[in-house]
Amino acid sequence: MNFAQEALIISRAELGRAVRSGRVVVLLGMYALFSLLALLGVGGFISFVRGQLQQQTGSDAAAAEALNAQLSDSLMGIAIGDAAAASGGMSALPVVVLIVFRITLFFLPVYVALMGFDQLAGEMAPRSIRYLVVRARRESILSGKFLVQAGLLIGLVLVVDLCITIYALIVEPDFPLGAAVPGLVKLWLAASIFSLAYVALTALCSAVTRSPAVSLALNFLLLLMFWLADAIGSGRAALAKVAGEEAPATAMLRYLSPSHYSTGLLDPDLSNFMVAVGAYAAFASLFMALALLALRVRDV
Amino acid sequence: MSLPAIQLLDVTKHFGPRAAVSGLSLEIPEGACYGLIGPNGAGKTTTFSLLCGFLRPTAGEVRVLGRDVRDASALKGRVGVLPQDAQLPAGWKLGALLTYWARLSGVDAPERAAREALDKVALSEAWAQPANALSHGMTKRAALAQALLGSPPIVLLDEPTAGLDPKVAALVRQLVEEMRGKRTVLISSHNLEELERLCDGAAILDHGKLAQAGPMGELTGSAVEFRVEIARGEVPLSQLRTLPGVKEALMEASGHLLIRHDPREPAAEDVIAEVVRLLLAEGVRFRGISRGQRLEARVLQIT
Repeated sequence: MNFAQEALIISRAELGRAVRSGRVVVLLGMYALFSLLALLGVGGFISFVRGQLQQQTGSDAAAAEALNAQLSDSLMGIAIGDAAAASGGMSALPVVVLIVFRITLFFLPVYVALMGFDQLAGEMAPRSIRYLVVRARRESILSGKFLVQAGLLIGLVLVVDLCITIYALIVEPDFPLGAAVPGLVKLWLAASIFSLAYVALTALCSAVTRSPAVSLALNFLLLLMFWLADAIGSGRAALAKVAGEEAPATAMLRYLSPSHYSTGLLDPDLSNFMVAVGAYAAFASLFMALALLALRVRDV
Repeated sequence: MSLPAIQLLDVTKHFGPRAAVSGLSLEIPEGACYGLIGPNGAGKTTTFSLLCGFLRPTAGEVRVLGRDVRDASALKGRVGVLPQDAQLPAGWKLGALLTYWARLSGVDAPERAAREALDKVALSEAWAQPANALSHGMTKRAALAQALLGSPPIVLLDEPTAGLDPKVAALVRQLVEEMRGKRTVLISSHNLEELERLCDGAAILDHGKLAQAGPMGELTGSAVEFRVEIARGEVPLSQLRTLPGVKEALMEASGHLLIRHDPREPAAEDVIAEVVRLLLAEGVRFRGISRGQRLEARVLQIT
């Protein structure tokens, strides 16, 4: 039996167990609920601002439309970055969809951690992993479990993105079904690529620890460090840009964080999109390679 | 000459600065039923875990059927393991779990193999029960069933009868008896009486090192000595020493007459017959005769 067959057997079995356990369903429900709240919050806020603009401009339809467009551009810039917004490539999607998508993307790594922190660590503490290591290669065990987490995540983001799109179809009269389908595919693809790097990070944390609690704590710590690296690096770069100076070395920190590349996943420019995909693939490969190395040499 | 089933070549295992096993070399021949013996902290569990590939050696090499256990699939389908303290995973019905493991071991007809394995340990009725909700005894039997899945050529058992009621312990011993000569079985246990009965040979560990290893007869001295428990009468030691094959005759403090004899000629039973005849002729009465030393006494002597 080769590595791929072993990984497939493990992933099929673990997928069944994950679904039976109910935790995945609960977490899926929680994440969908959170997305719905974000959707209602953002949708309500945009409707409110639009209503205020309508009141201020009164019967001047042209002025109202201009202000509305300005508002949309600003929000679009927040959602997918100024450059991407300026290119108009994602303008087919309503701004509420993009903002909610970005919010869900921000919290997705936390959900990934909550879902998979004990995939290996949870079997180390009670030593049930010993029943597996005499039957399968350690890389098969890691890959099988990674496949399950990745599969569940890809399914989850499809459900969430579908819900967001359906909501947009209902509340945005200018959003046609013809634009919704490719828009949904783009969002799903972006979220899936984004998720895989974090699934790999969670696998790494679970592979190097013996206790699920420590695995979760390490995962959150790394997420915080990545977020800080992106925030500090991006902040330094922005300040330098405003001051017209060359970016300091600390600005480079942002490139060490996976979240820095998330905007690129929605960029209509293919080269920027491919850079983002490459970055996420590199992060996923790095985390998986480290997880594999750790699992191969460690005692179980 | 056939390759040993299990080989430990100058194996050392450190946990931090502490060496749990140090420079251990051991060979277990194919088809043998072998015991791993030693007091707590002697390195038994560490050695067992090294053999199963659970622990990585700090130095040295562990080979199973000629393959380094660090090789990715060295143990797959070749070794069945009953770990002492590994819990069965949650979220599984026992039958489904064993079928999954059988499939992963590359066993043909995995469900049938799982049912057969549960039958062997008299646990068929637990097929649909949650694996992590079984009683201690049932968990142990279920774990033993997974070790027997697909009839691997090597079976490693860590404390297979610990915590079991006498009836189930007898069933486990019977299973081991059935495997004797057909598979290589290694049993790590504190139950020396059981090991003495089941095993062809044993390795005695002490402070992480090999104190002694060899065939059970050699360890217990059953091929070279026997004891006569004297009830009354004057033991003719000088006459006993002149009997053919007798190398030594002496009285122990416990009131036992110890006879050491040549293991080759004459046969041990002939030496015993001659000794008994002389003792009876001299009016000595005795309560019983035992060959060799109890394994427990031997282990206490060595460690």
